[in-house]
Amino acid sequence: MSAVPNAPHDDILRLRVTAKDLETLRALLRETRSDTGGRPHHEADGRVGIDVYATAAQVPALEREGVTVTRAGNASEAGRAAQAEVGSGDRFAPADAVPRGLAAKLAG
Amino acid sequence: MPYLNVTEVESAVTSLATAYPVSSQLITLPETSYEGRTAHALRIGTLTRVPKSSLIMIGGVHAREWGSCEVLIHFAADLLEAHRDGTGLGYGGTTFTADQVEMLVNRLDLVIFPLVNPDGRRYSQTVQSMWRKNRNPANAGGSPNPDCVGVDLNRNYDFLFDFTTAFDPSADPQVSTNPCDPQVYCGPSAFSEPETRNVRWLLDQNPQTRWFIDVHSYAQDMLYNWGDDDNQSVDPDMNFRNSQYDGKRGLPGDLAYSEYIPKGDEDTARLLAEAFCQGVQGVRGVPYKPMTGFHLYPTSGTSDDYVYARHFTDPDRGKVLGFTIEWGNDQAQSPNPFHPPWAEMKKIVLDVDAGLVQFCLAAL
Ligand SMILES: [Zn+2]
Repeated sequence: MSAVPNAPHDDILRLRVTAKDLETLRALLRETRSDTGGRPHHEADGRVGIDVYATAAQVPALEREGVTVTRAGNASEAGRAAQAEVGSGDRFAPADAVPRGLAAKLAG
Repeated sequence: MPYLNVTEVESAVTSLATAYPVSSQLITLPETSYEGRTAHALRIGTLTRVPKSSLIMIGGVHAREWGSCEVLIHFAADLLEAHRDGTGLGYGGTTFTADQVEMLVNRLDLVIFPLVNPDGRRYSQTVQSMWRKNRNPANAGGSPNPDCVGVDLNRNYDFLFDFTTAFDPSADPQVSTNPCDPQVYCGPSAFSEPETRNVRWLLDQNPQTRWFIDVHSYAQDMLYNWGDDDNQSVDPDMNFRNSQYDGKRGLPGDLAYSEYIPKGDEDTARLLAEAFCQGVQGVRGVPYKPMTGFHLYPTSGTSDDYVYARHFTDPDRGKVLGFTIEWGNDQAQSPNPFHPPWAEMKKIVLDVDAGLVQFCLAAL
């Protein structure tokens, strides 16, 4: 393992992992102690899938009989793009800068 | 505005308290984080002579689930502005009248704590975006492995904390005693972390609390009690305090154990969760599902089960129904639904905030 968490080979990928049934999926997650996102969903072909977050090096440990692993994107790369959308400084520092919500304010 | 940094979440709260002195009040949490940050909460509600029921909302517990803070800040800002100006609120197809806004602010005591884990958010927003835990290094044992820092705050509450005793060995709840688990290390003891002690303090300070919502991502659902096993309402003795059932909890669909919840509580919890989902769906049609926390795998030490467990453990305490929102779409193509591009997050904020207003009105 590199000590540099942001090195590209340590990037965390969003993987779609599907299994032939829920029990197989549960067993896989139990054994690999994978970082998951969302809930399991039944796919159109009857398989059950869930999002797993893992590095490329961890993918082979997920692959096995009855299990399909598909790469859905690079979560770390998307994370770095999102980091560029974080405010800098303090937008509410001026005394008259009060947060306003996104909802429409509807007359009476 | 793009995502709020850690300083801005706190200054948003203090700025709202200053701008709306009649209808809000700043609360400073007693404990600072490991990195020395002070957290704030905002009380919303006009002063009345009649004591009011409280609803506590918390967010920013898991570092990478950024939008939870924005969900709560926008919710507060919209309510306060609409209340002051006597307007209604529009979230796409879900709308609320000025009368509903006024009733909510006058009759309910809302306590909003938008950023429980400031150190984690800071680390996620500036270093490792997928970070989830807090940044307490105390249990790393000097290991250079960066995963050994931090505790999963939503496994650190006092509910079946000793999960190795409480659960069936094959249940394998989503929690770990290994400090180097990158996601779900529960900490050395319940409430070992200042961040969870701040949440407990809010509950202790507000004994009139009846509802509690913890904002997380992602799955598009609204979870209610319980999270350790299936619910049952027939055997009150089959419950989390009964050691007779140690080693039997956490298996789905079995007869060995299900967690007791009085029928009336489950009905109320489900109705409120449904109200939330109805509010969300009205905005632009996104379906959120009401369900109990126990779904794919059992959990221990979560906030929603802890708050509801308190009145069973100590009957002098009031009953608090616990909920967890999981905003964000697991069918989305985005490579990282934990912090989607801000343009997408804005739509989710509107969805969830409409659900929160609907929840409040249903709770009244
Ligand atoms: Zn979470």
